[in-house]
Amino acid sequence: MQIELRTQVIEPERKTFTNLVDRFGDRPASRYEEGSIDIQSVANFHYRPLWSADHEIYDADYTAFKLEDPYSFTDPRQLYYAPYVQSRAAMNEAFVKTIDYVEKKDLLQKLPAGWDALVGEVLVPLRHWEAGAELVSVEGSRWAYGTTIDQCCVFAAFDRIGNAQNLSRVGIVYGEGHDGALAAAKQRWLEAPEMQGLRRLIEEVLAGTTGQDYAAKLLTVDLTDRLIYGLMYNLLDEAALTGGAGAYSLVAQHFSSWFGDQRRWIDQLVKTWFADPTYGESNKAAFDAVLATRWAQIVEAVSDLAAAVDARIDAGASASVAASAAAVAADLAALGLTVPGGN
Amino acid sequence: MSAPTASRPVGVDLQENEENRALVEAIEADNDDLTIRHMPGIIRLTKNGRLVINQASVEQRLGRPWETHEFQMAIITYFGEFVEWDDDQIVIAWQH
Amino acid sequence: MTVSPEKPARKLSMKQRYSALTHDLDWAPTYVQEEEIFPFTTFEGIKVHDWSKWEDPFRLTVEAYNKYQAEKDRRLYAVLDGFAQSQGQVGLTDARYMNAMKIFLQGIPVHEYNAHRNFSYLARYANGPGARFAALCQSMDELRHAQTEIHTLSHYNKYFDGMHHWHHWTDRVWYLSVPKSFFEDAMTAGPFEWLIAIGFSFEYLLTNLLFVPFMSGASFNGDLPTMTFGFSAQSDESRHMTLGLEAIKFMCEQDEDNVPIVQDWLDKWFWRGYRLIALVAGMMDYMHPKRVMSWKEAFELYFEEQMLNGLFKDLEYYGIKPPRHVQWAIDEKEILSHQVYWVLYQFSHAAAFSTTIPNAEDQAWLEANYPETWPVFKEVAWDKAQRVMDAGGRYFNPGLPQLCTVCQIPMGFTEPGNPLVQCQRQSVYEGERYDFCSDGCQWIFDREPTKYRQAWLPVHQIFQGNCGGPGGLPAVAEWYKLGPNDGAEYLGSNDQKNWLAWHGQTPKEA
Repeated sequence: MQIELRTQVIEPERKTFTNLVDRFGDRPASRYEEGSIDIQSVANFHYRPLWSADHEIYDADYTAFKLEDPYSFTDPRQLYYAPYVQSRAAMNEAFVKTIDYVEKKDLLQKLPAGWDALVGEVLVPLRHWEAGAELVSVEGSRWAYGTTIDQCCVFAAFDRIGNAQNLSRVGIVYGEGHDGALAAAKQRWLEAPEMQGLRRLIEEVLAGTTGQDYAAKLLTVDLTDRLIYGLMYNLLDEAALTGGAGAYSLVAQHFSSWFGDQRRWIDQLVKTWFADPTYGESNKAAFDAVLATRWAQIVEAVSDLAAAVDARIDAGASASVAASAAAVAADLAALGLTVPGGN
Repeated sequence: MSAPTASRPVGVDLQENEENRALVEAIEADNDDLTIRHMPGIIRLTKNGRLVINQASVEQRLGRPWETHEFQMAIITYFGEFVEWDDDQIVIAWQH
Repeated sequence: MTVSPEKPARKLSMKQRYSALTHDLDWAPTYVQEEEIFPFTTFEGIKVHDWSKWEDPFRLTVEAYNKYQAEKDRRLYAVLDGFAQSQGQVGLTDARYMNAMKIFLQGIPVHEYNAHRNFSYLARYANGPGARFAALCQSMDELRHAQTEIHTLSHYNKYFDGMHHWHHWTDRVWYLSVPKSFFEDAMTAGPFEWLIAIGFSFEYLLTNLLFVPFMSGASFNGDLPTMTFGFSAQSDESRHMTLGLEAIKFMCEQDEDNVPIVQDWLDKWFWRGYRLIALVAGMMDYMHPKRVMSWKEAFELYFEEQMLNGLFKDLEYYGIKPPRHVQWAIDEKEILSHQVYWVLYQFSHAAAFSTTIPNAEDQAWLEANYPETWPVFKEVAWDKAQRVMDAGGRYFNPGLPQLCTVCQIPMGFTEPGNPLVQCQRQSVYEGERYDFCSDGCQWIFDREPTKYRQAWLPVHQIFQGNCGGPGGLPAVAEWYKLGPNDGAEYLGSNDQKNWLAWHGQTPKEA
């Protein structure tokens, strides 16, 4: 290939694509913008779906949560595919370092008795909660209206299956390299009374017992996550350090760090829904409906989990979950929402 | 009826670059009657029946740890089926 | 990408680990019915008795996926940045090469994105965890392809016309309803048909016919970014091919009652996919200044040899036969590209790419590669077009073409074995007449008339007044948001003027 040395600067005809100029003005666009704004089709669909005669292929009516302009929501993390995989590759590398170290030093075999039971019987079964949450997230990826919401959903789905796989690895290391501990954990997920609240909840959400609105399902899972993560990866991280179970803290940090990242886009989405000039009030009403149907169930399910923790170690789990629930309720009330139970 | 699977060609197209040199050498060493064809940026490896990629063979030539998962960095396309993909070996063949 | 030398030896094999990390996450629900969680996998009549039989040879974990994909993207974006910094567009063989990439940008990224959304659908609604995880990885891959394509071509958009409003055109402009209707047909079908349509027919059977011309053409014509994107995407494509092949085998193995359903889908989607790729045939024979191979050669190698003589021998085991209308495609290989490009040439005043008469060098290549059919086209079409140019004009078709109801390509195809006779097929359904370009498209319509009669046919829509106006084509062009430099004739275009200026030439010197 001949390479010519240029002595003149070639002026570009334009700085970016026309849709971005129309939206943002005549300035260069970021790769996030070029790859995420206006990518999903919105017009002139050729056929109605065989599996849903009432909807178009992409349809704002797959949910009660709407935006006048779907692209008024953008991911505060500005993640498109490339920075997403690079970010997660770095996070995975950090987790692998931790789990390899824990394995090499047999740290999970050296836990105090209560913590040992906690890991095998309460933590590792949560791989199935993550697997269920993944399905809810990827459901959002199909039904969301607009690329920016879809993208956050598919990345959340991949994150959650990653979490499930990481918890599975903890289970394998806990089981000294075999999958016996995973089988036992699945039995607990299926049968232990303390797990049934969560299992019932996620099954009902997936089946759509209170409706098939993907956003309502995402919010239900997120509200539950706030309580689970507060318990398992914040409270217990601290308790592990004082309880002689340092390995637990080493592992937990990865999950709480991830959850901080997850919160950013969900909080921004909720904020955008509530601020929408056309749909703000109806979006709030839709969120109220989620709370009315699921909040009590969520609190009860995670309270059962907390009781399971308290039965094994001394960390004040039940009190902590009650306080977390109250704090979340207060946050929601501050947004103008109605939380059942009067909190 | 179709020709027996042992006599039908299978193959893989790899990116032709410095990094894949050891991989190509290992495949050459481990597969008799291999045909190699060079196209711009692509090296095509074909043979009849079964094509094997051995982890140990690649790692030995490469001089650093190599896991079979890494094979997907090199591959452009293939014909046949991945009938095995384990820690130690990848096998491409037709099943029927 | 280092592996710790002190990593403990694994007690679980790769297969067992993979199973522990994917299949084992799944459980049978007891508080609800399974069908409530997975409501879409029975209505198509496909019977599955054991989802655990779904095989995924790649056995990727999330960790491996992120690691390798991150590395691929680092390399790709480094090339894109370098090309932009060095004004690499000046090194193309010719500016008219970009017309192939304009069609690419207008016709492909939106549909990669559609594939992403529908693989998310499979990742949610397939009952088996192995199938779901493979679909989730493919959903991520397709999003990657959509975005890397847009980013790859973003640099060119700054310097060439016909790219700046690509998505707006994708959903409206006449030739782009060919890919739009194809992908929307697949998305509106059920999950198993989707797997055969896209997973198998498109990603396995026809993928090389789509990608090799574009990517090799990029390499031959100095388009480093597209070539690099192509290589980078191809390693994802090998996973997609595997998923597609697994899909068809899984369905055939689960129940022999599935085989005739699968065969019908294969017949339909081969033909729809083949007609979609007709645009590529026209592009590779006419729009690449330096050509890799002819459409005829590509079809012979990538379809007849590799698929009919390779893959289909393997599928015989299940009772699967080569596609129903395959002989028609084989018969067309000498004339397809000529017919398609002639249509594009006539109508590029209403398109977002420019066309031009093949120059002397082009014509010599066409003669050498199509010794029997090129001379006919040269006489009946191109010599006439040249006479119009010589007299100071430029032939554009003043009317609007009839589109095939199914594939939506203008009806420029001919009867097999008789290239001087227009092929017209018709079906009447509930008192309305529908027109088709071929037996294949008619057969597809007749199977599902209530689906295909819904189509948003661009020419019908123009005549119904739904595309701007009144005011004829200028009003339509305005509704399409086509700029004055986005189409028509290449010679004398803005693209050509810029090209000559970059190389220190004036049009007179060219």
